[in-house]
Amino acid sequence: MENVLEVKGLGKQYVPGVYASKDVTFSIAKGEIFALIGPNGAGKTTTIRTIATLLKTTEGDALVSGHSILTEPEEVRKCITYLPDEAGAYKNMTGKGYLEFMASIYAETGEQALEYFRTGCEICELGDRLNDKISSYSRGMTRKLLLARAIMPKPDLAILDEPTSGLDILNAIEIRKTIKDLAAEGMSFLLSSHNMLEIEYVSDRVGIIAKGMLLETGKPEELIEKYEARNLEEVFEKVVKLREIL
Amino acid sequence: MKFYNLFKKELKDMFNMQTILTMVGIVALLMVVGNIFSDSVSESAKKSGDIVICDMDKTDFTKSVIAELKKVTEDNDGTLTEVEIKSEDYSKELKRIDQKQVVIIPEGFTELVSQHKTAKITFVQRMTSLAMMSNLNTGSANTFETFSAAVKSTIYAQKLSENKITEEEIKQLEDPVELEEMTVIGSKQEEISSSLIMSICTSQNMVVPIILFVLIMFASQMILNAISTEKIDKTLETLLSAPVSRISVLAAKTLSAALVAGVQAAAFMFGTSQMTSGMTGGLGLDSDKFTKALENLGLTLSIPQYILVGIQMFLSILIALCVALILGVLAKDAKSAQTLLMPITISTMIPYFLSMMADISTLPVILRYIVYAIPFSHTFMATENVMFSNMTLYVGGLIYQVIFLAVCMKVALSIFMSDKIFTMSLGEKKTKNKKAKNA
Repeated sequence: MENVLEVKGLGKQYVPGVYASKDVTFSIAKGEIFALIGPNGAGKTTTIRTIATLLKTTEGDALVSGHSILTEPEEVRKCITYLPDEAGAYKNMTGKGYLEFMASIYAETGEQALEYFRTGCEICELGDRLNDKISSYSRGMTRKLLLARAIMPKPDLAILDEPTSGLDILNAIEIRKTIKDLAAEGMSFLLSSHNMLEIEYVSDRVGIIAKGMLLETGKPEELIEKYEARNLEEVFEKVVKLREIL
Repeated sequence: MKFYNLFKKELKDMFNMQTILTMVGIVALLMVVGNIFSDSVSESAKKSGDIVICDMDKTDFTKSVIAELKKVTEDNDGTLTEVEIKSEDYSKELKRIDQKQVVIIPEGFTELVSQHKTAKITFVQRMTSLAMMSNLNTGSANTFETFSAAVKSTIYAQKLSENKITEEEIKQLEDPVELEEMTVIGSKQEEISSSLIMSICTSQNMVVPIILFVLIMFASQMILNAISTEKIDKTLETLLSAPVSRISVLAAKTLSAALVAGVQAAAFMFGTSQMTSGMTGGLGLDSDKFTKALENLGLTLSIPQYILVGIQMFLSILIALCVALILGVLAKDAKSAQTLLMPITISTMIPYFLSMMADISTLPVILRYIVYAIPFSHTFMATENVMFSNMTLYVGGLIYQVIFLAVCMKVALSIFMSDKIFTMSLGEKKTKNKKAKNA
């Protein structure tokens, strides 16, 4: 199967000798949902930011749709969208204004921008509230708008850091469903979350990351079977403990 | 109790280290400025009793007046210096005798007094700056009063010795002398009072510093807020992961901040010019005559001079934008973003006040170079440098500003093009080093 993302020995040191991520290697196939799971400070966000070309890698490389993050970051940015954890939007804009603005940034032509904008309005399901200023939105509404922004250009790879954080159960279920539907259409996803149950439900494969290192990768059900666990949470606990013993 | 706890919490929140540092910084600054001005004021106060006089009439009467004047000045701890003025080129003459001002008793003075007519004296003043402290001793009024008193006293003495005084002489004693004032700037001179020039030019010359101050503060606040808000809200991460170059993002922010600041400055300039013209009109002056005199003295800016001032103003704005951009990156929340503006505020306030109050080029050497090291100082001094033809100072300042801007731009670009845009923040270094140590 064609890989949209290939990460090879990726490492990042903010301070020389101290690794925020080290020798991270994994790949994501077209239409696959891959999730990085791990506790706070495990290196999930550093890895994601490096792939999103926001941070420069100190070791290794990653190819997005064949383009290197080291040598072709501009090309990489054309193939991805990124939704940071706890991100905000431009509060003085209306929802519509924000989607219009972001569509114009991602699109190559006016027609394409209009198409992205229409898709965004449809996905976020904010209806008439799109005419209101973002400053009047609840946290959940803002998150839905941002998710719509990340998905509307239908990128090769959508990188979503804690995609459902701040959403109520119903909205979270809707978002998970949207992600699954879009993956079925061929869009690939790189997710990050502490919510193991959500990840177990939505992801095709997971990568367990702790102290900057990718300790294990595989399908959730395979890992549960391999570690004789009841769920992904237990798998995570066992993998981390085993690694500490080793 | 509840109120007390709430009050304590709010007080603790507001009276933090940043507030204390700002307060201490401003008090220290005001004390330094106070000391500088105290020296200037005491120097000026010492000189205010001094009179430099040139007697071109050379009669017994004028000699008696000068002797009386000498007595009065010495009583006031001042000195009276007699000089010779050889031509009407007062600029050259004042330079030759190394004085800033001189009172001239013209030929025929005694004759007019003896005819019971009002006799004229000329007060010539050389101006080297428009700063308030530099012109504290534009003492034409004082000198005139002292001189009139000396003339009256001499006439009285004569009349008493003659033991007779007529009605005409009594009337003459009410107003024995008339004052004619000349002001010299550079090589030019005009029949106008230096005090009048000061009072009008001070209000006119306040326009450029005020506009510059507003421009720098608005522009830096806008760019600092733009960067820090985007960083805090993580909209910057979203934007920089989109297919758009970082240079475009940076250029769009900088350009829009400069443009908005420019529009605000134009509005401010219009308002201030209206205010100034209102003030000038209120003085009831013959505006054409006054404008002509200012033009002749070089106290109005020509178009090339406006361009020169404009270049330095533009450079100051660019420097402020670059510095604000660097500081904006350091913000970790809205509160720290406000605090980060402090270095720009202080380094704008120092030259702003100093340039209005004192002639910076006459400050003590160390202090002068500290002020010169602030890049904005050169723009605050630009109008005066151009008006008083201090081109060495202007060009030196311009070169320094260009170098400063180049360094700031390089630093800002290197931050914006690297990870630092996301990883740098005030107080983070300590935490990171601690983390690294623990690891």
